[in-house]
Amino acid sequence: MENPDPMSRAAEQEPVGPVPPSAPDVAAPSSPAADAVDGSPQGFDIPVLEPDDDAPRVIQTDEGASDGLAKCSRCGATEISLNVATGNLRCNFCRFEWSAQSAADAFDLNGDIGKLAGVTMGSGSSDIVPSTDEVMTFKCSACGAEVLIDTASSTQARCHWCRNTLSMNQQVPNGAVPDMILPFKVAKETAIASINKFVQKRRFFAHPLFRAEFTPENVMGVYLPYMVVDINAHARLSGEGEHQTRSYTVKVGDSQQTRYDADLYDVVRDFDVHVSDLTVESSSERLDQITSQNANNIINTIMPFDVENAVRYDSNYMKGFTSERRDSNLDELSPIAFTQAEDITRHRVNSTLTFYDRGVRWTQQDVDVRGQRWVSAYLPVWLYSYQQRKSNGSTFLHYVAVNARTGETMGSVPIHQGKLLLVSGGVEVAGIIAAIVLTALGI
Amino acid sequence: MTTSAIVTAVHDQVLASGGSSGDDGGFVGFIFLLSGFAFYALMYFRYRNADKRHRHESETEATLLNMKAEDTFVRSKTGMSNRTMNGANSHEVRGARKKFF
Ligand SMILES: [Zn+2]
Ligand SMILES: [Zn+2]
Repeated sequence: MENPDPMSRAAEQEPVGPVPPSAPDVAAPSSPAADAVDGSPQGFDIPVLEPDDDAPRVIQTDEGASDGLAKCSRCGATEISLNVATGNLRCNFCRFEWSAQSAADAFDLNGDIGKLAGVTMGSGSSDIVPSTDEVMTFKCSACGAEVLIDTASSTQARCHWCRNTLSMNQQVPNGAVPDMILPFKVAKETAIASINKFVQKRRFFAHPLFRAEFTPENVMGVYLPYMVVDINAHARLSGEGEHQTRSYTVKVGDSQQTRYDADLYDVVRDFDVHVSDLTVESSSERLDQITSQNANNIINTIMPFDVENAVRYDSNYMKGFTSERRDSNLDELSPIAFTQAEDITRHRVNSTLTFYDRGVRWTQQDVDVRGQRWVSAYLPVWLYSYQQRKSNGSTFLHYVAVNARTGETMGSVPIHQGKLLLVSGGVEVAGIIAAIVLTALGI
Repeated sequence: MTTSAIVTAVHDQVLASGGSSGDDGGFVGFIFLLSGFAFYALMYFRYRNADKRHRHESETEATLLNMKAEDTFVRSKTGMSNRTMNGANSHEVRGARKKFF
């Protein structure tokens, strides 16, 4: 094969941005060509095979979107918010309800993944330009005042003078306006009840300060940033598999031991794979899931979301909620997505390996990504946070999170270490006594 | 297919028991000697859920097409003492973000 590791090469492709094809960083040190000459002097020209149709195809996802006053089409009011019960946007003056267009329809996301070639991406997934302002200034067209929108936490703000709501729906390269949004579906009361139930089941060893300060009513509705990825790939896995033919016992000294006979096979699987709606966090903070330092794995656990029901981005879905801005680009997220796609592929192939009841050991995995589509999304999470101050002065931010589409709930509850250690000590003593008694009785 | 059901069941059992349970009788006594540590770990994970993550490998929709299998018999092996293949990696997950340290 001319390209032993297409995954990592695809990951290094600059999907957007004016990088000249001869730029030195295109031949990144981890490229397959560089690996192959490991140990030899670096710095000479390594030919980089770049497909001609390398430029990403961009789906313009904010066409017709406008910033400023987003008015109800019936009465002209700007008091528009999501009606969680119906999933529609509702004018809070005249009660008129409507919905944004389905993202799948608007951007043709339901097409055959097998037809994907090269990189396709929503315009709201483009690379973030670091110099882009985080706080955007808009002129209120109702009264002329200047209104600031802090895109780190929302794409909406209220005009302090005339009380109208201003929305930002056009994409600027700061990651604040995604291609699509999945509206909240689980009501706040339901989320509070789930969080309460989750914590009540974990009361006994919970830290007393947490028990005293736990207020599930403080839960926040937050839209977190993700990339939703479709992948069209060809894969060839090869390795060895073992099929058990016999098991029997042999006498070794005084004891009976089991022995196994098996047939060894060379195993090859060659196929196409379509991965649909693989969802990856797109904020560097949320991607950091080192559980000894943070509880971001809790938010990761409540996936998956029904992203197929996402709609075109409209800031009116944001009213009453906050958001976190995307800060990661395709070149940082591609390796994560491709490694996960390989996991998904390997997992699916297992259904063809049932004959190898002793297992399969893959020695070579060639996955050639032929097409990929990236769409950025805000997905809805009810998030209860609790900052634990430890006795050594450090802090740890705990979460109880509810998937605001499926209701799946997961959390981290601060532990009363002293109490847990004491009880565990008691259990240990009882266990040792039991072990001594059992030994004494000769069991 | 019954064989696949059995394989799955065995696999689940191995996972449930933490991957390494001896079949011999000393296991019960061993558990008693570790009971305090086991209790601590059980409660720690029940409260902190530091072991939880999104199972992207099974919870993501994917379709395999045009599957071509080429399996060739190599040889028979006899008298092995382990019940599963050495270095089997078809269930391995490499793309998880969650790490302990
Ligand atoms: Zn209205
Ligand atoms: Zn105004």
